Amino acid sequence: MTTTEPRPATTEPRPAATQKRYRTLAVVKQEAVTRVEKQLEDSVFVWPHLLVREFLAAMLMTVVLTMVSIVIDAPLRDHSNPNLTPSPAKAPWYFLGLQEELHYFPPTVAGVLLPGFVLVALAILPYVDRNPSRAFEDRKLSIALFTIFALFFAVTVLEGSFFRGVGWQWIWPWQNIYFDL
Amino acid sequence: MSTTNRSLVDRTWSKVTESQVWRSIFRHGYPDTPLNQSLVMMGNVFLHLHPVKVSRKAMKITYTWCLGGLSFFLFLVLTITGVFLMFYFVPDQTIAYANIQQIQSAVAFGNLVRNMHRWAAHLMVVTVTLHMIRVFYHGAYKPPREFNWVIGVALFLTTLLLSFTGYLLPWDQIGYWAITVGSNMASYAPIFGTAAHNFLTGQPVGVGQPTLIRFYTLHVIGLPLAAAILMAVHFWRIRKDGGEAGPPPPSRREIEQARARQAAEREPVASLS
Repeated sequence: MTTTEPRPATTEPRPAATQKRYRTLAVVKQEAVTRVEKQLEDSVFVWPHLLVREFLAAMLMTVVLTMVSIVIDAPLRDHSNPNLTPSPAKAPWYFLGLQEELHYFPPTVAGVLLPGFVLVALAILPYVDRNPSRAFEDRKLSIALFTIFALFFAVTVLEGSFFRGVGWQWIWPWQNIYFDL
Repeated sequence: MSTTNRSLVDRTWSKVTESQVWRSIFRHGYPDTPLNQSLVMMGNVFLHLHPVKVSRKAMKITYTWCLGGLSFFLFLVLTITGVFLMFYFVPDQTIAYANIQQIQSAVAFGNLVRNMHRWAAHLMVVTVTLHMIRVFYHGAYKPPREFNWVIGVALFLTTLLLSFTGYLLPWDQIGYWAITVGSNMASYAPIFGTAAHNFLTGQPVGVGQPTLIRFYTLHVIGLPLAAAILMAVHFWRIRKDGGEAGPPPPSRREIEQARARQAAEREPVASLS
């Protein structure tokens, strides 16, 4: 857009202008410690290549969310009543795995120690897993353990959501579903 | 005729883009040259979280599934719809439920906005969880990104708490008893169980007005503020820790094989010379 004006031939450039001046734009550190022999990366400009993808993802999400919100109403049950305990009284869906554990273990274990242990374990994971490789093949143990852990929670959440009815008794989803979102 | 129209549009456009006002806002031309594509990323406050260039592999949709970005986008949607709902909702146990009914029936677009807030909240728990799982499987929590994973775990917890505190606000049977179950759980914590329960509910037994105002305050300001600060650190650290991790590099066995292959190829050449 901007073009440099051709300099009038008659004016002598001042000595200061002939020396290039630099200013620090950024200090770029050599990359992460894990760097081995890195080839020149196949990279593209964020504008437009990444931004267009982000924009499309956001638009798609907006459309889906709006459609769902037009079609399905958020639940609203009766006014709260401290004297009328619904059976079963279920926690939000993401805590139903813990509520399911509550059925098997004492509350201190299922409600406090287990979630506390899980959170701490997740937080310290990068400091416990000393294996430097990121390739799937080199991480069989950690991937297996994490998959078991994730599946365990997915299964217990589903169990608590769709397989538990009055008095936390086992019920099949085709019999009745006690589940609110 | 069309040429005159075009040139008029062109002339107006260049008048606008060359005006002092325009040039004071945008310090560069349209980003269709490498220089302007760099300047727009460095000079725009909303874009500068991104680098100027990004590796093609790390950008692939099937690598990230946009899960982190979508979580952030849902947070923005929740902020906007949440502010709208705050106009009509009073955290008073005698009228909170009626407020929700009014939002559903009497407020223009109230029902749609409440639905969007509810579904976006559930969806955000899902996208944050999936993002975390995705990062684990790609080993993207490994050095130098360890600390950003820890920030991510804190953000995961904040997301759950945001959803949990919002659950109570409609003051219906679902929320009331879900929070009763949840806060009773806190009282089983060793040593400080009673203190934890009372901190959550604001009263020794059950859930009441003190609980509603606590959950409301945490939901609309305390936790969003915490999430915003954690997100700022999270996004900053992505850049400072070397950008997106990208797909996992070859395994040890594959590296060995490649080396062996190279050695085998070099062998005959060496014997010739």
